[in-house]
Amino acid sequence: MWRYIARRLLQTIPVVLGSTLLIYAMVFLQPGDPIVALFGEKPVSEATRAQLMAQYNLDQPFIVQWLLFLKGALVGDFGIAYSGQPVSELIARALPVTFQLAVMALIFEAVLGVVAGFYAGLRRGKIFDSTMLVVSLIVIAVPIFVLGFMMQLVFGIQLQWVPATVGSNTSFTNMILPALVLGLVSFAYVLRLTRTSVIENLTADHVRTARAHGVPDGMVNRRHVLRNSMIPVVTFLGADLGALMAGAVVTEGIFNINGIGNLAYQAILRGENPTVVSVVTVMVIIYVVTSLLVDLLYAVLDPRIRYA
Amino acid sequence: MPETTSLPGQTHFVAPSSETPLQATGMVDTSAPPEGQWKEAWKVLRRNWLFWVSAILLLFILVVVCFPGLFTGVDPRQSMLSKSLQGPQSGHPFGFDKQGYDVYSRVVYGARASVVVGLLTTVIVTVIGLFTGAVAGFFGRWVDALVSRIADIFFAIPLLLAAIVGLSALNNVWPDRGYWGGVLAVVFALAAFGWPQVTRIARGAVLEIRGLEFVDASRAIGASKWRNLFSHIIPNSLAPVIVTATVSLGVYIVAEATLSFLGIGLPPSIVSWGNDIAAAQSQVRSGDNLHVLFAPAGALAVTVLSFMLLGDAVRDALDPKARK
Amino acid sequence: MRTRRIMTITAGVSAAALLLSGCGGGGDDGGGSGGGDGDMIINARGLEPQNPLIPTSTNEVGGGRIVDLLYAGLVSYTSEGETEMEVADSIESEDNKTWTVKLKDGWTFSDGSAVTANSFVDAWNYGADPENAQLGAYFFYPIEGTTDDGTFEEGADGISGLNVEDDSTFTVTLKDPASDFPDRLGYSSYFPLPEAAFDDPEAFGEAPIGNGPYTLDGWDHDTEARLLANDDYDGNRDPQNDGVTFKFYTDPDAAYTDVQSGVLDVLDEVPTSAISTFTTDDQLQAFNDPGPISTNVTIPDSLEHFGDDEEGKLRRQAISHAIDRGEITSQIFDDTYSPATDFSSPVMPDYSDDIEGSDVLDFDPEKARDLWNQANQISDFDGTFEVSFNADGSGNAEWVEAVTNQLRENLQISAEPKPFATFGEYRELITNRSIGTAFRSGWQPDYPSVYNYLAAVFGTGAGSNDGDYSNPDFDAALVRAASSQDEDERKDALNEAQTILFEDLPAIPLWDRNSYGVAAQGIEGVEMNWQAQPTYHTITK
Repeated sequence: MWRYIARRLLQTIPVVLGSTLLIYAMVFLQPGDPIVALFGEKPVSEATRAQLMAQYNLDQPFIVQWLLFLKGALVGDFGIAYSGQPVSELIARALPVTFQLAVMALIFEAVLGVVAGFYAGLRRGKIFDSTMLVVSLIVIAVPIFVLGFMMQLVFGIQLQWVPATVGSNTSFTNMILPALVLGLVSFAYVLRLTRTSVIENLTADHVRTARAHGVPDGMVNRRHVLRNSMIPVVTFLGADLGALMAGAVVTEGIFNINGIGNLAYQAILRGENPTVVSVVTVMVIIYVVTSLLVDLLYAVLDPRIRYA
Repeated sequence: MPETTSLPGQTHFVAPSSETPLQATGMVDTSAPPEGQWKEAWKVLRRNWLFWVSAILLLFILVVVCFPGLFTGVDPRQSMLSKSLQGPQSGHPFGFDKQGYDVYSRVVYGARASVVVGLLTTVIVTVIGLFTGAVAGFFGRWVDALVSRIADIFFAIPLLLAAIVGLSALNNVWPDRGYWGGVLAVVFALAAFGWPQVTRIARGAVLEIRGLEFVDASRAIGASKWRNLFSHIIPNSLAPVIVTATVSLGVYIVAEATLSFLGIGLPPSIVSWGNDIAAAQSQVRSGDNLHVLFAPAGALAVTVLSFMLLGDAVRDALDPKARK
Repeated sequence: MRTRRIMTITAGVSAAALLLSGCGGGGDDGGGSGGGDGDMIINARGLEPQNPLIPTSTNEVGGGRIVDLLYAGLVSYTSEGETEMEVADSIESEDNKTWTVKLKDGWTFSDGSAVTANSFVDAWNYGADPENAQLGAYFFYPIEGTTDDGTFEEGADGISGLNVEDDSTFTVTLKDPASDFPDRLGYSSYFPLPEAAFDDPEAFGEAPIGNGPYTLDGWDHDTEARLLANDDYDGNRDPQNDGVTFKFYTDPDAAYTDVQSGVLDVLDEVPTSAISTFTTDDQLQAFNDPGPISTNVTIPDSLEHFGDDEEGKLRRQAISHAIDRGEITSQIFDDTYSPATDFSSPVMPDYSDDIEGSDVLDFDPEKARDLWNQANQISDFDGTFEVSFNADGSGNAEWVEAVTNQLRENLQISAEPKPFATFGEYRELITNRSIGTAFRSGWQPDYPSVYNYLAAVFGTGAGSNDGDYSNPDFDAALVRAASSQDEDERKDALNEAQTILFEDLPAIPLWDRNSYGVAAQGIEGVEMNWQAQPTYHTITK
């Protein structure tokens, strides 16, 4: 087990390197001149320009820029944003907010998705199953910004159950609505994955055997069906934490949350490469760690899988 | 199912197939089951009314995609600004949007870009993801490590951010790309970072299948690894992949809308549901004139519904374990 | 300065939200110490400053509106755009070229140090030093000893046109005469800095020390900046409240919601989603008055068929006549924009409403077709007329599409919007002159004068002349306006310059953005100034 973990940790090195290189390449291919953009529609003198290019390593070849970035990132130095603030500070402010939002969304989608999917699977074709199918369809078919605006309008402005926006007060109650909105699409995924797995497992040999042995239905469902149905769901959920944090761009915008999604999106618009690359690097690390945890959970859930 | 699997435990008594006369028949046996499986599946499908409903809907949508001119004589880009946001009226059953376009005509013509983006992205993602996931899960060891790590590199970069950065990089290397170029650029951007999702699902499914008896059985009777992969492993792990694919088809159509909402998806010259939903978002807040939102969003929902129902029906038919 | 998109964050941010603000105006409330009784803190919508809070570092609205309240310049502007002496006692010149600035006594920075001639000259030299790469350096370009981009030559140790006479007097020598030079000095690049700023500019930018109506109490990044009324301030903009807290919203929808519920007091913008309802929304107060920000479509004369000849002129006039400005401002903008009547804006003090040639702005589709066909006799147009714009959620997409729709319809040609995802990409192509299409342009004045709209954008070789327009007659009219001592003569020269522009149409004027916004109920004294900014110091509740 420990050897497995060590090996996996070693394997994360090429992933992090590869991802930063990939994002660096794409950012490098970005059209547009960030220095020109910095000056708005005013002209900029050659001397000033050269000064700024050197300051942000923009005068270096692509690979050198990447290596310089890696060198800094190793010691937690992500460079300086065009605003003069260290990028690591920007991230340190934004990351906890998005993390809180994503975790709340994850809990929401996992609990509601698994419970709803489990019962929909057990009662396939019944009213509840059909209702859930329709709900998941609406969630997937209507863009998140439309749902977000509508939920904000109804719950935040008309009913006033929760504040319509979050701002700097990221308390639990303020974040409920954004977390629900953020987790909606994944909720549909979890629901359907759970339902599908449950239906498969209901007819599996070991389940039939258990029933034949007179194990009560409730226990069979919980112990055999649910547990075995969790494998694809857990895979999905684990991978989803990173996706939620990244997918928060739109949600954070609607609810005025100063998270990492907003930070990244604005940085892309401004062509602020150090910030874009740094945010992505942080997300890559989050992803790598969560997917390792997922694979370990795999072993716990499915005794057939053992790691040497 | 191969006959051999109906006799669990028998594999213990069978010598390596290369050493027995079974080799010749073994080759036939291993290729036969999938054929039977698909034939069997079709039998089940034929009896499923959901399959027919979704198939007919999709056929209809396909006709709209290919021949929009059959359904409306109004040019979707003909603007009558003075009628901006007016409701339904004679000749314009869904009224007008903010730019004074005929909403009905936009819905008809918008099907093409949206469906093509969703369909093409899903096909590319599924083919790449299924193959890589199956190979990784089946061969395990260093193959698994290599494939999983490459998938990780792409998957670790968040889809939406990656698509935004990727699309504007594409602008640089591929400017002025016209209608199909514009559509393909969005497809490439989404597919390039979407496939690892399928890889993970497929790999998970294959890991599960690999341990089942019939696979051991067919391996025992000497089927080659690759043959085993294509004739047993992949067909039998299709179910979760198809479910993911049908759901993600909707997600990709919606992702296109989100990219348009952020100002980087399809250019405004391309009529698409995504662009129209994005344009309608300003109406959501005011709560007025919601027809400009509901028409494209409704068309999108119906399309996604059709694909999901079809996916469900096909999965039920393909997966004997889940069959009633 | 022009409408900038660089700060735009999410969709729905309208163009003008990103403009740099200059000073708040309104000197009509007399002297007296700032602050009332109790704790009257105004919560206003802000944007996270993108740069350190040093006047010359700031060129966007988020930092600009804060800097304007923290510092006082030589002059300040009333909300109507009239110039008033603030720190300066007098600014005088015999020849409009060499200006002598005399300072008032008694001005201090909030750290107690005195505001002297050196406070200004050192600050300007800091701003113009290319090594400091200041974003606001451009504004020094009229002064002797700077390049066209406003920085002084490398190796020099300052702007040679600046000369300190004594503690309260300095002289400014310009490259060319400019009668309106004093009017320009209220812009933030011309603000003074205390000694403390130069020791550690980085730390200073986080906690600036100014001489303006407010002091910075705290700046929580991405959350808010808290400004408190400066009791020692004795200038033209006496604070009527105890402080202003700028709350940073990236999304105007969120800010709008908070005004509705009373969490936020003032929002100088309205999200697209509320644009058709905000004037009738009884949960808040709405403002919607003519504003200074003009929108144009620039057609570079390097564009094929649009050269500096008869054909180009005909086509430009045809395009101008083919656009129904009134219909677009009412249907697309819900009357938050007003059709253009000239190249400047009606809120400028020297605006004229009857300039010869302005009828080229009238909608007349038949005449448009006719002019276009005449041009086709000279050389046939079979391409696509494209209008480039930055589509980074800046709200340009809708009107560009409407304009190209009208051109397609009324001229029977192929016309398409051409979006660019980022402002950087868009600006780069314009800056290196490789955009190859017509493009969205706009102008927000740096100081309240029609002259600024004309000279900075259309003067030969001017810094913001992105269409490379050049007409000696136009330049000559500008020179006459700049060197004239007589108000009427100056206005005539400016009108004549505009008439030339209406003939050549280097850019097609479209509309001016209204100064619109909302305030919570119970808020008083909200006034939009000539820069489309609320005059924060007059707000009470």
